[in-house]
Formats: sequence, C-alpha cells, structure tokens
Amino acid sequence: MKLYSLSILFKGPTKANLLKAAYDLSSFSFFQRSSVQEFMTFTSALIVERTTQGSRASVKEQEYLCHVYVRNDNLGAVVIADTEYPQRVCFTLLDKVLEEFSRQVDSIDWPSGNPETINYKALDIHLSKYQNPREADAMTKVQAELDETKIILHNTMESLLERGEKLDDLVSKSEHLGNQSKAFYKTARKQN
Amino acid sequence: VKDVIIKPDAPSTLLLDKHADYIAAYGSRKDDYEYTLSEYLRMSGIYWGLTVMDLMGQLPRMNRQEIIDFIKACQHECGGISASIGHDPHLLYTLSAVQILSLYDSVDAIDVDKVVEYVKGLQQEDGSFAGDKWGEIDTRFSFCAVATLALLGKMDKINVDKAVQFVLSCMNFDGGFGCRPGSESHAGQIYCCTGFLTLTGQLHQVNADLLGWWLCERQLSSGGLNGRPEKLPDVCYSWWVLASLKIIGRIHWIDKAKLRTFILACQDEETGGFADRPGDMVDPFHTLFGVAGLSLLGDEQIKPVNPVLCMPEDVLQRIGLQVDLLS
Amino acid sequence: EVDVLVQRVVKDITNAFKRNPNIDEIGVIPCPEARYNRSPIVLVENKLGVESWCVKFLLPYVHNKLLLYRQRKHWLDREALVDITCTLLLLNPDFTTAWNVRKELLQCGVLNPEKDLYLGKLALTKFPKSPETWIHRRWVLQQILRQFSAVGHGTKQQQQLHQGEAEPADAERSQQLSDHLAGTLRQEMKVCSDAASRYPSNYNAWSHRIWVLQHMAKGNIKVLHDELSSMRLWVSMHVSDHSGFHYRQFLLSELITGVSQSPSCTAATTAATSSHHQQSSTVPIGSPHHHSHVQANGEPQGAEVAGEEERQLSFTTVLLLFHEEMELCSDLIQSFPGHETLWSHRRHVFYLWHSM
Ligand SMILES: CC(C)=CCC/C(C)=C/CC/C(C)=C/CC/C(C)=C/COP(=O)(O)OP(=O)(O)O
Repeated sequence: MKLYSLSILFKGPTKANLLKAAYDLSSFSFFQRSSVQEFMTFTSALIVERTTQGSRASVKEQEYLCHVYVRNDNLGAVVIADTEYPQRVCFTLLDKVLEEFSRQVDSIDWPSGNPETINYKALDIHLSKYQNPREADAMTKVQAELDETKIILHNTMESLLERGEKLDDLVSKSEHLGNQSKAFYKTARKQN
Repeated sequence: VKDVIIKPDAPSTLLLDKHADYIAAYGSRKDDYEYTLSEYLRMSGIYWGLTVMDLMGQLPRMNRQEIIDFIKACQHECGGISASIGHDPHLLYTLSAVQILSLYDSVDAIDVDKVVEYVKGLQQEDGSFAGDKWGEIDTRFSFCAVATLALLGKMDKINVDKAVQFVLSCMNFDGGFGCRPGSESHAGQIYCCTGFLTLTGQLHQVNADLLGWWLCERQLSSGGLNGRPEKLPDVCYSWWVLASLKIIGRIHWIDKAKLRTFILACQDEETGGFADRPGDMVDPFHTLFGVAGLSLLGDEQIKPVNPVLCMPEDVLQRIGLQVDLLS
Repeated sequence: EVDVLVQRVVKDITNAFKRNPNIDEIGVIPCPEARYNRSPIVLVENKLGVESWCVKFLLPYVHNKLLLYRQRKHWLDREALVDITCTLLLLNPDFTTAWNVRKELLQCGVLNPEKDLYLGKLALTKFPKSPETWIHRRWVLQQILRQFSAVGHGTKQQQQLHQGEAEPADAERSQQLSDHLAGTLRQEMKVCSDAASRYPSNYNAWSHRIWVLQHMAKGNIKVLHDELSSMRLWVSMHVSDHSGFHYRQFLLSELITGVSQSPSCTAATTAATSSHHQQSSTVPIGSPHHHSHVQANGEPQGAEVAGEEERQLSFTTVLLLFHEEMELCSDLIQSFPGHETLWSHRRHVFYLWHSM
C-alpha cells in the first residue's frame, strides 16, 4: 500500500489554488516521475474544483484512489493512494493536516498563496509517516470516528465532469501540465 | 475490491464482422513497429488469428499457402519449430505450428518424425519437459509436449507415466497448479495441467470440487474473471478459467450471463478485436480468447471450440482426436 | 541515414555503460520529436533514458541485424553482437533468441555471468514481469552453480579435513567461493523484491525467488528464517499481493519440514524465531555441511541432547512458528478488512497445521 501525494488547496470560485504539496513517487520509474507529479497536481486541483463545500469523496482512477475533503471554509486537501491503502486512514490524515494547516497559516493567505509563499512544512513528514498506516495511527480509533460524514464514491474521473465535458480536453488545456506530460498522457491511455 | 466498471455504453452485441476484418488486416501491417516487437511469438500469433477466423467461419480469408510455406521455413534441423524465420526453435511454437497445420489439414508439410524426436528429446529424467535445449522447466511445456503429440497421434513416444507424475507434483493445496513444484496456482497453468491430464487420461487425479471452487471464485462482480485472487479481470482468463471449468465439468458454477456481458464489453467497436479489459488496446491474443470464451458459453454464432486444445471441434473430429472431459 | 543514426545510438548506449558502471534503471522518455543535434540517450543520476522518438528506428534496426546474423546472411563480430543484443533486450526483453545468442557468448567465454545478470536486472526495471528475462536468469545462475560445484568437489574433502590439516590456500578459495555465492543469493533476492514492488502479484518474480531458494539454498534453515522475517513487513504493506503471501506459505512449509526432519537445526531456529530481527552477516548456502555453519554462528556445538528432548524442542519451534503466523494473519485481517488474499493465507496456514 502506498500514498503518492498529499496536497492542500484553496477552492476559489472557479479554480482551486494549490497551497502546498508533498509527493512520494519513488515507486514510479525515474523518467516518468515529473509527468506523474504534474498529473497528480492536475488531478488534485480538478477534484477539489468539482467537490462541493463540506463534503468528502473518493474518486477511483485506474489503480489509484484520490480521497478529497473540502471543508466549509473552502480549504481542501487531497491524498492520492493505491487501492490497497485503507480509505478511513486517508480521511483521518486529511482532517489532521487541514486542521494543522489552518492553525499555522492565516486564512487571509489562502486565496492567493502558492507553494513558495506558504510556510507550512509538515506535509512531507505526514506523508512519509502515513506510508505505514498501522504505525501512523491507532486504526481502531479511526474505525469508530469518521462515519458521520458520508463519503461519496466516484468510479471514474469522468463522473466528476459535466455533460459534454471531456477529460482529454481538460488535459490539453491544463496549465499544470507540460508538453512532455501531455505526450505521456497520450501514450499511457488505452494500454495495459 | 479490484475490478472494472462496465460503462452503460459499452458494446453488448457480438461484432463478428469487425473482428474478422481486424484479424484479416492484422497480417498486412508487417512493417509496423508493433508487429516487429511481437515477432518473437509470431507462430503463436498466427495460430491465434487463424483459430479465431476458423471459429467465426472465416478461415478462407487467410493466405493458406503463404502460411504453410512460412511454417516449413521455421522447422529446424533438430525438428523443432521457431516463432519466425531466424529465431530459435521452442516447444511453444512447435505446438502452435502443429495446431495451424491441423487447422489446414496438412501436418505432412513438415517433417513429423523429426517433430516427435524433438519433443521426446526435451523430456527430462523426472518426467518434466524443457521448453527448448536450454532447459527451462514449466508445466506449460508439459502441456505443449503432449498436445503436440496428441495432434500427431504419437503420444506413445514419451514416458507418459513420468510426465504425469511431474505435473501432479505441481498440484497445490487449493487444488490448482503452478509452473513448477512449490509455485503458486495460476489459472493459465491450471489450464495447461488440466488439459495435460485430459490428454494423458488422468483427469480423475484432480480434486474437481476443490479446484472448481477456486476457479469459480475468479469471477468478479463485473462478471469478468481474473487469473489469481485480487487481480483485475482479463478476457484471456475467460478462456483459461472457463476452459478449465469445462474440462473438470464445473462450467455451470459461474454466472454465464454476466461473463458474457464482460467479454462483449471488451470489444472495440471501431477497430474490431477484443482487449484485455473494456477500453484498452485490442490484440489478436485477446480476440481469440474472447471469441473462444463466448463459444464455451454456448454462443451459436461461433463454432464449438474444444476446451483442451482451443481449436474448433470439427477439426479435431476430422483428425480423429477424441478428448474425454469430466462430467 | 537511419543506419548512421542508429549505429550512433547503439554506441551511445554502450558508452553510457562504460562511463557509468552503476546504472540501475532504464526507461523511455516521452518525447515525440527529435531535438536537433542531441543524442536521444540520456544519463541522469544512474538512470539511462532513451527518448521515445528514436525507439521505432532503433528497435527494428537491431532486430533485423541480429536475425540476419542468425540466418548467416550477415556477419557480426563478438563485440557487435554484445552491443546489439544489449540494446535489443533493453527494448524488447522477451526476444528469446537474443538471450540465446548471449548464452552462446557466455559459453565461449566472451561474456561473463555477472554481466548478464546485470543486463537482466536492468531490463526488469522497465519490464518487471518479462518471462524470458527470468528464464535467462535461471540459466545463468545454473552456470554459476555448476562452476561452483565443479570446484566444490575438491572443497568437500577439504571441509572434512577442515578440523585439522586443510591447506590454508584451499580453505581460503572455498571460503571465497561460498562468499561469492552468498553475494549472488542476496542480489537475487533484491532483484526479486524490486520487481515485486514494481508490479503487484508478480508471478514470475515470486516463482523465481522460490526457484532460487530451491537451487541455491537447499534446506538452509538460516536463509529460510531470514527470508521469513524480512517478508513480514513486506506482506504487511502489500496485503493484497497473493504471490507474496504464497511465498510466505512456501517458506513456512519448508521451515516446518526442515525443522522436523533435522532436529539439530532446532537450536538455531528457536533462536531466530524469538528474535526475528537479528541479522547475521554470513549466509551459508547449499552446503551439505550447514549444521557446522549454524554452529559457527554461535550455537552450542555438540551439546549432548537426548533424542526425545530434540523432538520436543522441534515441536515447540514449529508451534511457535504457527502461533506467530496466526497472530500476524489475524492482525492484518482486522486492520485491513476485505482482502481475499489474507483469508486464503489463513486457510493455507491451517492446512499446514493440519497436515503436520
Ligand atoms: C493452446 C493454447 C491456448 C495455449 C498453449 C499453452 C500455453 C503456453 C498456455 C499458457 C497459459 C498461461 C497464460 C500461463 C500463465 C503464465 C504465467 C505464470 C503468467 C504470469 O502472470 P503475470 O505475468 O503475473 O500476469 P497476470 O497479471 O495476468 O497474472
């Protein structure tokens, strides 16, 4: 089981704004890492944009699961994991990180901040500590707590899109993605 | 749970004409980069293509003479047959070649005695078979050896008892089989081993209920079958698993309608052909096993397929090979 | 023109290996178009990358060259053969015949086994399931083992003399050989774990690992134990990897057989079980004399234990193994609900217990 990325975003009126992110891409092949990272950023932003305030969701995309929580104050976080990693632990992690972040970073800086300007350093540590869910948190505790808020499950990224909207178009328009990543996306599709 | 979701707009009818066009055109792409990439298995590739064409009643569309000449050119001094010209001989491609020639009713195009010598020469002290002269051992090769000999009517040329002993030594506690003693059970290896035991008349040695249970547990909620626990479904396993279930007389233990839905969803409506999973790239391998799987499920647009040799039943009847399954 | 380009690229690859003997990964860099005047071969941080645009020229070219050679229509010298098969196999590692050409080069001494194990290891970083790469590996390992047993023939007698008057030079040589083999074994285990992490439930990687134990560490309780303890964390982090768990089942059943058949191993096993994090630096392999190695690891030698006591002890050891395994399994099932793999593991452990 593996956590690949953990990011904090602010959900603006039309766009999500990346505030801070941590990645563990060691399991990807070296020459794909930069593209994979861009895709994780792209996906995290897209998911926060398409998730309503005060809700939790898990989105399945191939062998990945993206878990998102957007709070009522529009602060959101996304963790991208493999399908083996326990969902409940992901949401505990999201709660914890958002809580800590909002204590440490003034909300005035949320709408306009970016990874360079925001001073919050714990993300990498959390990501690495949570790689082993059993060491990270007492699971038994986790089992009991979270169930009040319903978690919406989307079986594909496409189900987040609106009628007539296409993932391919969003990819080719995205500013998160460089040319190499767009080329990578084209070759990665439809192959097993 | 690892599985796929079948989209509502996925294909749900069998697109036979498209598949025939796809296979017929495949061989004319000889300059393609992908075609070069797969040259090391060309003989099996041709077997997949021809068999699926025959099952769809379209064999005459393929160039018979060209193929037979090609096979002739692939037989080596030692009797073994290679995947393509300039490649080394191997049991895998020797079986494919003999299967193709059986479809065309022309095994005499090659030196049959030498093929038999080649197969015989690969049997080891412990009854196992090496895949080629370099000595890798695998139950797949035990299957290739006996299937080749069965098609040629020369089963008596090897030590069958020892061969059986070896395959049985690869049986596991879950009733399945792996590639060597101690290896994990795998649907593909189970197909090879149950097929092997059928051809050697030893099917009673399997624990059909135990193995049947393991096999039918391969079906996921999408209807598709995987090859081992917690793996994604794949159209080729609708062949390896389903054929094994058919062999041991337990094919009714799975949900046939749901499997059919899954297989049909793996078609590509535009290009023709089947992919491993809905939405992926098609290839001749998955196209054969998609169509052959549908045949085992009783689709009447397709000729009945033999679950042991993965060839049309009418071909086996013609060459007089009778295969007894469990009931 | 393509010829010139491709020949240059093949050379670039060969030179990259000369320049950096520590390359540990290969990959294709998505890049649809050539950048003028720049080699498509990139070397960063021990990673060797090929730009994707050139692969479709490169592969057919080396492919045809090799096949023409194989049909005796075109001559290639040994150096060219080594370079061409290397490029070809890094791009298309299931090309059986190219591995066979290397087997022949190995047999006539042009290549050495270590070089080929290395090439295979690199191919597996991009194609972790490639059956032909694993098959070739087993062939190469068998060559190494054959060399070892050819020399080991003399060594066996020396080991019997070992107590007293063994010639120091021979003893040293035999020590070197077994160190070398121990190193090869460790490296194989590493190659298997890397491939297993790159592709879940990697059948070929795990069945290779079993083969390695069966051929290079036959009945060696210490190796089995080290494997069992190092797998503990791995399976806990890969709870749906059926192949990884099957490997664990294999280890357990070998250990149970080993311990109950050879009670004198018990002392070492008990020690290893109760402190399964302890690591020892020496890994004895395939030696018929592994008891003396075990004792060399610090276990009491020649303790006069009555037969009955030994049986008791081995029974306790096995019991402890089962107990620990059931605890691990229950724990994982509770922490990670809904995994077929964990339940199938549980069933297997019960089966082993039952067939004791
Ligand atoms: C006549 C016919 C139809 C076949 C000839 C006989 C042969 C060669 C059958 C091959 C059967 C087969 C598929 C064996 C399995 C090989 C194997 C151990 C594959 C390992 O699987 P992975 O590479 O881990 O792939 P999956 O992820 O699909 O399990």
